[in-house]
Amino acid sequence: MTGAHEVLLETERLSVSFGGLRAVDDVSLALRAGIVTTLVGPNGAGKTTLFNLITGHLAPHAGSVRWLGRRITGQPHWRIARAGIGRTFQDLKLFDHMSVLDNVLAVTERDAWLWQRGGAAGAAQRLARAEAALQAVGLADRRHARALDLAYAQRKFLSVARLLASGARLWLLDEPASGLDPRSYERFLALLREQVARGCTICIIEHNLDIVVGISDRIVFLDQGRVLAEGDPKSILSDPNLAAIYFGERAA
Amino acid sequence: MLAYLTNLAVLIGINAILAVTLNFVLGYAGIFSMAHAVFFGVGAYTATWVAIKLGGGLLLATGAGMAVAALISLALALPALRVRGEYFVAASLGLQMLAITVFSEWKAFTGGIGGITNIPPASLFGFQLTTPAQYLVLTLACLAAVIAIVRALVRGSFGRSLKAIRDNETAASTYGKNVAVIKTIAVAVSSSLAAVAGALYAFYMSFVNVESFVLDTSVLLIAMVVIGGVATLTGPIIGTLLILLLPAALSYLPGLPSTEIGSIQQIVYGAAMVLLMIFRPGGVWSLRRREGDPR
Repeated sequence: MTGAHEVLLETERLSVSFGGLRAVDDVSLALRAGIVTTLVGPNGAGKTTLFNLITGHLAPHAGSVRWLGRRITGQPHWRIARAGIGRTFQDLKLFDHMSVLDNVLAVTERDAWLWQRGGAAGAAQRLARAEAALQAVGLADRRHARALDLAYAQRKFLSVARLLASGARLWLLDEPASGLDPRSYERFLALLREQVARGCTICIIEHNLDIVVGISDRIVFLDQGRVLAEGDPKSILSDPNLAAIYFGERAA
Repeated sequence: MLAYLTNLAVLIGINAILAVTLNFVLGYAGIFSMAHAVFFGVGAYTATWVAIKLGGGLLLATGAGMAVAALISLALALPALRVRGEYFVAASLGLQMLAITVFSEWKAFTGGIGGITNIPPASLFGFQLTTPAQYLVLTLACLAAVIAIVRALVRGSFGRSLKAIRDNETAASTYGKNVAVIKTIAVAVSSSLAAVAGALYAFYMSFVNVESFVLDTSVLLIAMVVIGGVATLTGPIIGTLLILLLPAALSYLPGLPSTEIGSIQQIVYGAAMVLLMIFRPGGVWSLRRREGDPR
């Protein structure tokens, strides 16, 4: 694939061990622009660890990560974030004691100095971006509530609003649909589709097979830190061996 | 009586500056510093040195104190802020202990244990400040300026960065915030503003020695912030008032033998702290504020 589907992020033989356990073992994969890739696999397969290696929360013992052709392995995560890679966490990691609006506004303000560049015009632009992100996830009317006081689904949407406002080009979503009721979940899928249509590239860790089928262009199946298979959703999900591994049975 | 009250008011103002500036890092950034009294001391000694050796006025002396305090805070912050919370507590405690030794031993600069006496009165635009009332006005003006600076910072983007780091450091850096730099700047701002209190104190007392800048002072300042209410603008001032007025009020309580006042103060302090933390864990002011919060 070329042109519209250029490779944004590439991992090359990425490995990390915790003690004797190879959590991610020789993983090479490419995330292409405009393509939704889903990482599936049983618990402990190394999916979140792979995210942590990509975003710089963990340093690999071997291998490298390339973003737009440039090696980003070993860079601090704030720098990787600024390059355009955003993520959510299973435990959301919201700024709990800040307002909903401030949660989103904070991610648009990246200068470490006492004030942000761009003056009043820049501030107005960032505020507009934050407001638009809240509008997109349906949280505009809760902008003054504390993040801590939101319902669970709203907290999930807030974590997505932060990502939206951050302007990240690649979204790494760690189990974004877990715990969502059917209506929120439909809304969430629609939001993701809209973002993909706008040129966003998404990589999701997900156990919900409806989501996997509903949105993925490509599935990467991980087990015990290794890529067992990758391909389109139909072929991967219809493979009885992979299903057996996924559901904890022995492969035939 | 008026002289006593003016003196108390000046000391409350100076301590309020320290509490407000400590709250800037402790309350808003979640950086628990046990060394705030060090920067108070650095401000006081530097201002004294500038006033005596260079004949500098209030502005020069205070500015020099702020600059030196900021530089020393960088020496603490740069290595210590790369690691998480509890290590900074240990590092700041280390700095506090080290500073006490330097303050007591570096006789050429600090006068040693005996300190420095006869500090000339502060001069501002050729005008000499000599009476406690003049110092009260100056202290309140400085307190107002410090509150205005802290208020502007915490309500703006920098404050949002600090609060984001305090609430979730991992998320803050994941979204592109350079946590180490932001924390370092916060510590430098807090320390240099604390040095303003040091300069005021030196000129007002016309005497400084190490006793004012020991660990007890740092702990007392933490108590002011925590009791008053962390991460609020008014909380630290309320905390300062409570902590400094309580002993004053107890001294005037009839029927207390003067020899026992010290230990009674300790008991009242301790009991008040414990009860407050049980019933109002966010501090006096934060609870008031939360009641009025729209949910």
